[in-house]
Amino acid sequence: MDDSSLVEVEGLHFSRGEKEIFRGVDLRVPRGKITAIMGPSGTGKTTLLKLIGGQLVPDSGRVRIDGQDVHRLSRRDLFRLRRRMGMLFQSGALFSDLSVFENVAFPLRVHTDLPEAMIRDTVLMKLESVGLRGAHRLMPSELSGGMSRRVALARAVALDPELILYDEPFVGQDPISKGVLVELISKVNQALGLTSIVVSHDIKEALSIADYVYVIADGQVMAQGTPTSLDVDRDARVSQFIHGEPDGPVPFHYPAADYFSDIMAGGARR
Amino acid sequence: MKHRITALGRGTLDAVDALGRAGMFLFQSSVGVPSREGWHLWLRQMHFVGVLSLAIILVSGTFIGMVLGLQGYTILVDFGAEDALGQMVALSLLRELAPVVAALLFAGRAGSALTAEIGLMKATEQLTSMEMIGVDPLRRVVAPRLWAGFVSLPLLTVGFSVVGIWGGYLVGVQWLGVFEGSYWSNMQGSVDFIADIGNGMVKSVFFALVVTWIAVFQGYDLIPTSEGISRATTRTVVYSSLAVLGLDFVLTALMFGEFG
Amino acid sequence: MKRSKMMEFGVGLFMLAGIVGLVFLGLRVSGLGTGVSGETFTLHANFANIGGLKPRSKVTLAGVRVGQVSDISLDPEWFDARVTMTLDASLEGKLPSDTAAAILTAGLLGEQYVGLSVGGAPEMLADGDVIRNTQQALVLEELIQQFVSNMARE
Repeated sequence: MDDSSLVEVEGLHFSRGEKEIFRGVDLRVPRGKITAIMGPSGTGKTTLLKLIGGQLVPDSGRVRIDGQDVHRLSRRDLFRLRRRMGMLFQSGALFSDLSVFENVAFPLRVHTDLPEAMIRDTVLMKLESVGLRGAHRLMPSELSGGMSRRVALARAVALDPELILYDEPFVGQDPISKGVLVELISKVNQALGLTSIVVSHDIKEALSIADYVYVIADGQVMAQGTPTSLDVDRDARVSQFIHGEPDGPVPFHYPAADYFSDIMAGGARR
Repeated sequence: MKHRITALGRGTLDAVDALGRAGMFLFQSSVGVPSREGWHLWLRQMHFVGVLSLAIILVSGTFIGMVLGLQGYTILVDFGAEDALGQMVALSLLRELAPVVAALLFAGRAGSALTAEIGLMKATEQLTSMEMIGVDPLRRVVAPRLWAGFVSLPLLTVGFSVVGIWGGYLVGVQWLGVFEGSYWSNMQGSVDFIADIGNGMVKSVFFALVVTWIAVFQGYDLIPTSEGISRATTRTVVYSSLAVLGLDFVLTALMFGEFG
Repeated sequence: MKRSKMMEFGVGLFMLAGIVGLVFLGLRVSGLGTGVSGETFTLHANFANIGGLKPRSKVTLAGVRVGQVSDISLDPEWFDARVTMTLDASLEGKLPSDTAAAILTAGLLGEQYVGLSVGGAPEMLADGDVIRNTQQALVLEELIQQFVSNMARE
């Protein structure tokens, strides 16, 4: 076991129904760094996070966090391990029946016996760090998309976790909120000294904060390296993805019969 | 032909699978020691599921009682037996109408809302994120709703019976002129606390279990898209109505039938 | 905070209303407690035919409800029905021994009940005594049969 990595994924196979999603994925997430996992839509990046979080069980292969095999743990130990992890969901996933304050306080109330005054201080501190202390009375329905993600970030770090998983944090955000989130993720990572895994297909943002990058396609790790090394990667598939070219090894066209014969035969075949 | 048989087999397997999942689900969410927090969550759901269903239950109960009074009177008066109106209204309400109609209304009002609410929580990843925080959503989200439904419906059924009997009194006694004393004394002479009220309550407890179970399970098990939510809501109402009516026949046969 | 207090109050009220409703059903609708309450004593009576009498049928004296039928069984010695009645304790030792019990029908098609009528004997009935003077239920079919055979004879 390499001591410098917090999360190790080995030979991960996972399929959903008939469809094979992962065919042997190996990853190492170094401690205290931001690791980005990128790949085209539909490659199962969110599924990978769920596998790491122990919500899904792989067909074969192992996920180890700090040396513990996630899928061998008892339910109680798994929940104890999850206390050391935070996860930020695509939609924020704030509890809609609780106020912003109560949302951030939720993990504290569940897992600690802190007195009310201390919970209050902690919550306000966490909200201050994402710049939303003034919004603590609001309900989640009153927040914009970017704001709810920031509140969700405050909630994810409420228990000072060692590992934080971000699921598509930049999707559907305007440039300003994207900038704010990029800033926050790297700030939180440095300030709390935690390990981050960012799953994203927003190349520019992901590359700007990541220390190390994995590119996943076709159920396998297609490329890995530092952002600068990937930028100059000669591999056609990597370069198509990193530079966002419309056509290449991933074809623009969905597989179809020959265009000409399809058009000409149009009337007759029906 | 071979396709049909395969489809039938797969359908059966799917149904058994779903039943198994629903059973596990019921077990996991209803078993466990309630905490102080759980008490508050339950109270909150009692408000949404029980108190807010009260209006529709009471209004419908009154109308059903009034209709029973009117229909019963026109039939009984032909035999000169309009004194038995109280008996008729009370027995039909207590044994059949109150448990069944209250359960159907409850499925439409509270059951569909439960499905939609849990479904929405699932679609917005609230359930998953709860799990990641280390809280079991079955305990925190599902259990209070299950228990609230389970307690609410029998209470609502009592309310339905009471206002129904009052509605029958309003029409029969106040309007059509049945003698007040015979309305009540005939009722008291024929209604048995255990056999009629007790059995009606037992029915309603069964219905409460089935309707709430279907509602929360449909919410928890749905496909988390807007289409999935709308389908699951419909399924809740359809399945629970069918289950209530079917179960009602079985329970009635066991309670009041010859082979009981 | 205030809103949740209101909610708790509402739920409490709801539960309370449910219980009050159940009590209402018990007392007002099923007549629990309006009949025989507290102290009781039992009397037996044998009838040749009880018709549609059932346990829990009422027992009246001068039209006033004074008790209920608690048990009906077949007397294997005489092959008639033995009806056990539970009566209000205030009547214990006050009913003469020649008190008559008749099975009557409320209205033409109504339920059947036991009507007591008091005689003039000096001895009184005590707990567990048997009423000798009984009148069986009127069975409609038998009445019609009698009527028809009388017609035929004339």
